[in-house]
Amino acid sequence: MTTPLVLLPSDEVPRDYLPANNSNPLRLGPGLRILSQPSSKSADSKHVLTATQAGLLTTDAKKNTVSLLSFPNRRYIPTVNDFVIAQIHHSSADFFHCMVSPHTAHALLGQLSFEGASKKTRPMLKQGELVYARVLSVGVGAGAEVELTCVSPSTGKAEGGMGPLAGGMVFDVSTGMAARLIRANNPSAEIDEIEGLVILAELDKKLDPFGGFELAVGRNGKVWVNCSDSEENTVKATVAIGRCLQETDQKNLHPHDQKKLVSKVLREMKLT
Amino acid sequence: MIGPTASLSHLHRADGSASYKCPATGYNILGAVNAPVELPGRRDALKPEEATVEVFVKPGTTTAGVGERYVEGLLRSVLGKVVLGREKGFPRRGVVLTLAIVGGENIERGDSYLTVFPALLHAGLLSMISASVPLSMTFSATLLGVTKSGDIVRDPSPAAAKAAVSLHVFAISSKNHLLLNESEGRFDFDTWELARQNAVTICQGSSKGSDGDVNMEEEKNASGNGFIRETVEDQIYSDYVYKLDSI
Repeated sequence: MTTPLVLLPSDEVPRDYLPANNSNPLRLGPGLRILSQPSSKSADSKHVLTATQAGLLTTDAKKNTVSLLSFPNRRYIPTVNDFVIAQIHHSSADFFHCMVSPHTAHALLGQLSFEGASKKTRPMLKQGELVYARVLSVGVGAGAEVELTCVSPSTGKAEGGMGPLAGGMVFDVSTGMAARLIRANNPSAEIDEIEGLVILAELDKKLDPFGGFELAVGRNGKVWVNCSDSEENTVKATVAIGRCLQETDQKNLHPHDQKKLVSKVLREMKLT
Repeated sequence: MIGPTASLSHLHRADGSASYKCPATGYNILGAVNAPVELPGRRDALKPEEATVEVFVKPGTTTAGVGERYVEGLLRSVLGKVVLGREKGFPRRGVVLTLAIVGGENIERGDSYLTVFPALLHAGLLSMISASVPLSMTFSATLLGVTKSGDIVRDPSPAAAKAAVSLHVFAISSKNHLLLNESEGRFDFDTWELARQNAVTICQGSSKGSDGDVNMEEEKNASGNGFIRETVEDQIYSDYVYKLDSI
């Protein structure tokens, strides 16, 4: 690995940073674009990769991708296949209108895009309820509507825990933290990458005697937490987990400090 | 001369934010960007395939007036050209930039607004970068005042700017192009050309004339564009410290 490289808008990606894998085409992640520079000497033009955002250049040699890790506090822009936590705003004849991020148009979730849903058995979601959904399409062209789904279109099953989220509580984290949580807990990653996050493992260990907890992470910067112990402990543990995650995010804590934070918060909540 | 200071992403609820302090002129600007957001009313109907850039400038002690409207217009036209409004998620949406003048001398009605303009440009650009708004380039700006004796002063204080014969604001892009030129007062073309050359040196750092490698690097960081780069790099390195530890 070469030294980490930070690019600013209009910077070119140096050629020696690109993954040396010629079997499949190079894929560009967000924040990068390809420009062709017409050269005066020869007829064919030269292609260059330039950054459109500021960020840390990362490459994946296996998948042959190159992308920019931008600022974690940025706004979520819906992308197909992302898992999001959406809140129902209102319901119409065919759709639930959901809020994915503030100050943007509502996303549409079909009344029948739930596992095993039919006209008679569809879930009756009310305003304010939560769903764990996947972005189905973001439409074509300007101002198109974002569509969500709670079933996998190919199998008709609710994979990855999609569907209404009952109980629990939602905490806001930065979109960068949400992406980091998802990367850290990705079961398909070959190497045990933890992205410097030990907080969930630590919480899991400490809260095991209290019945453990459930967690759903949406790419739109929302984390849903649910615990299943007796009523009093449930509330305490849920709030404790949320506080730990938010504080780790805001203060960008080192793994060592994350462990300290967990002990501190659980002690304050009398959960030890 | 003391260089400017800036920090990024410290407002929690905005998508991107930056503060910029210029010790020479004394201005302290706080900027926040929300993008892409839905704008109330379809004011973008003329250009549906692009994002609309909205800029608001708030003075510290009074309500916004004619001077603020004037710089808002200038900022909108510069940033509107730099923002790539056709990237994913941006068409028909708004990029809303709010700049608050939180420190520095009050600009009275009738005073030149160009004195605060470079600080506003820098704070605006850094906020845009912090919100990950796609940009085609970065830039840096400078204020130059021409005194009665014909000397060109960099970043004159508000009092010196009042006494100056002419004031010039230049923005130079990261590709070394002149992006913006605003001039005020009486001057001839030779003076302007001299001021422009000065501005290029300030924003880009002198690429000729220095021999040592280390020296060149230092000079680059002292330039306007070098300062922007350094600020952004510092923030990225501190945000992704967990990633860099493992490498």
